[in-house]
Amino acid sequence: MAAWVKGGATDAGTAIGAAVSLLAKARAPVIAGLSADVAAIRAAYDLAGRIGASIDTAGAVGTYAELGALSRVGAITSTPAEAVGRADAVLVIGAAPWRTPLLQRLSETKPTRGRTSGSDRALLALGAGADSSKATFSHPAEDGLAEAVADLRAYGKGHLAGDTPQAKLVAHLTAAQYGVLLYDPAELGELGVEMLQGFAMELNETTRCFTLAMSGADQDRAVVPVAAWLTGQAPRSGFGRRVPEHDPWRFDVARQVAAGEVDAVIWLAALPVDRPDWLAAVPSVALVAEAKASLADVVIAVGRPGRDLGGVLWNEQRAALTYWPASAPTDLPSAASVLGSLRDRLAEGRAASRSEPAC
Amino acid sequence: MSTLTLRAAPPERLDFLNINPLALSRLSQAEAERLAVGTTRTGVRLGDCFSVALDGSDTLTIEGGHERLDRVGAALSEGAIRVAGDVGQRLGAGMAGGSLTVTGHAGPYAGAGATGGLITIDGDAGDHAGGAVYAAKAGLDGATLIIRGTAGAHLGDRMRRGILLAGRAGAYAGSRMIAGTLAALAVGDQPGYGMRRGTLLLGSHGRLSPTFVETGTHDLVFLKLLSKSLAGLSAEHAALLNRPLRRYSGDLATIAKGEIWVAS
Repeated sequence: MAAWVKGGATDAGTAIGAAVSLLAKARAPVIAGLSADVAAIRAAYDLAGRIGASIDTAGAVGTYAELGALSRVGAITSTPAEAVGRADAVLVIGAAPWRTPLLQRLSETKPTRGRTSGSDRALLALGAGADSSKATFSHPAEDGLAEAVADLRAYGKGHLAGDTPQAKLVAHLTAAQYGVLLYDPAELGELGVEMLQGFAMELNETTRCFTLAMSGADQDRAVVPVAAWLTGQAPRSGFGRRVPEHDPWRFDVARQVAAGEVDAVIWLAALPVDRPDWLAAVPSVALVAEAKASLADVVIAVGRPGRDLGGVLWNEQRAALTYWPASAPTDLPSAASVLGSLRDRLAEGRAASRSEPAC
Repeated sequence: MSTLTLRAAPPERLDFLNINPLALSRLSQAEAERLAVGTTRTGVRLGDCFSVALDGSDTLTIEGGHERLDRVGAALSEGAIRVAGDVGQRLGAGMAGGSLTVTGHAGPYAGAGATGGLITIDGDAGDHAGGAVYAAKAGLDGATLIIRGTAGAHLGDRMRRGILLAGRAGAYAGSRMIAGTLAALAVGDQPGYGMRRGTLLLGSHGRLSPTFVETGTHDLVFLKLLSKSLAGLSAEHAALLNRPLRRYSGDLATIAKGEIWVAS
């Protein structure tokens, strides 16, 4: 097992010992990233509950844009497989969805199921910039994506009218039998997502239309249900006062680090995600598949689920949690087992007292 | 007048939900000093960071604020709290009555879900002042919130009732507004994004969404009543109503019963 402490290669026991000593003295630890299989996410919440840590995820910006809108207006959604099988009109909102494999499939295939079977698929673009070359009809969004969606919705409601590109886009979607509005929540933002959901609901008064959110490389789609069944809350919860408290502002780890509120971080990335800049500014333990000595103060290599070992991951294609067997098994430990060792070793140590004077 | 005096910067965020004149009036000094206000596993008690002097009155002064003091005056129902300094997030959140004064700056979500009382911030406020917290049905909901300095983005987001005054504010002021009155001397881009009903009174604004349409100038009795009602809170804001006003109706993406009055 590969492990490093302060850049020097060492064995697993020493690295776990260093991580334990870092976490044992921390006042406000954070477990961040959570780009891992369901077993590791569960272990992360278990550890957080025992050491009073808070949780943040790698894709929290997009996740909270989605959840914020969902909690207020609900959502009307489809899955990638349904979109490929049935959609005869796809409105791609923003630039990010054009870079996904799903868009490639949508542009290369035709609907094969239901009433739209065999008909052509229209790819429409809103605010895509140079990425929209494959679109049959494109409209820029110079004043911002959320504003462009609001504009479109006003045309959809009939509050605005005229021979404009927005009216043409709405006409395409109204004429379609199965429309799909494809977007990236992190790019569109919470206000825009809420506006888009309202637009979809209003289109459904006359035809069928669904939204479909693209997720990033992170495993937030797995974290949200796991967090819900373990804590009854969304992912950004803290356990400092023993019970899970949900507060998306307070437990934003980038904000916490900038404000000097965090004194230890466990960065969990058994599946690769971009390393955040703030990680260098705080004492850290990294549990990562693509391990490098320079990544954190203590680095422990863990197996990548779906490659080194089996694990339950978010399946973007099927829009569900599914088991992925190991494609090239190795003897690297699972992230869940390393988090379990940390939990056991920390439980052996003295529990922090709440009665000690703090300042 | 009871007084809490900050002795040292808090080592972690503190939760002042349970620190109000009514709660403190029932406690001895030693009991008050033992109140848990910390939010981490280590924890902090009120006496760790503050000198406590109680007299059982309905007025509490916090001498020396800090941006880590969260939920100051939250759920306050009676009495007065005055903070000489800064506060953190959710100042006066869910407040039902009484008065709350902050001489410094406030963090985000000041006045979220407040149904009654008066909140005054002499300095600046963070994002979402008078706005809704995650999954809440409404932002400011009947209270009066006055920000003398500059407010951040999303001022009055999903505000439902009450009066909100701000010196300047960032983008998306009055976004998703359900109802109520929001007045500001200047705001950033996209005021009133997604607003359903409610009134925005603005000295100037950034880019306005094409989903607002100008409906001309009007001389309405309502504006005179609004001017009278604002005069007692802020002469500067009431003076906006003495200037010629253009009215915009929107947001056309929603039910479009909101209005933006812009002084020219």
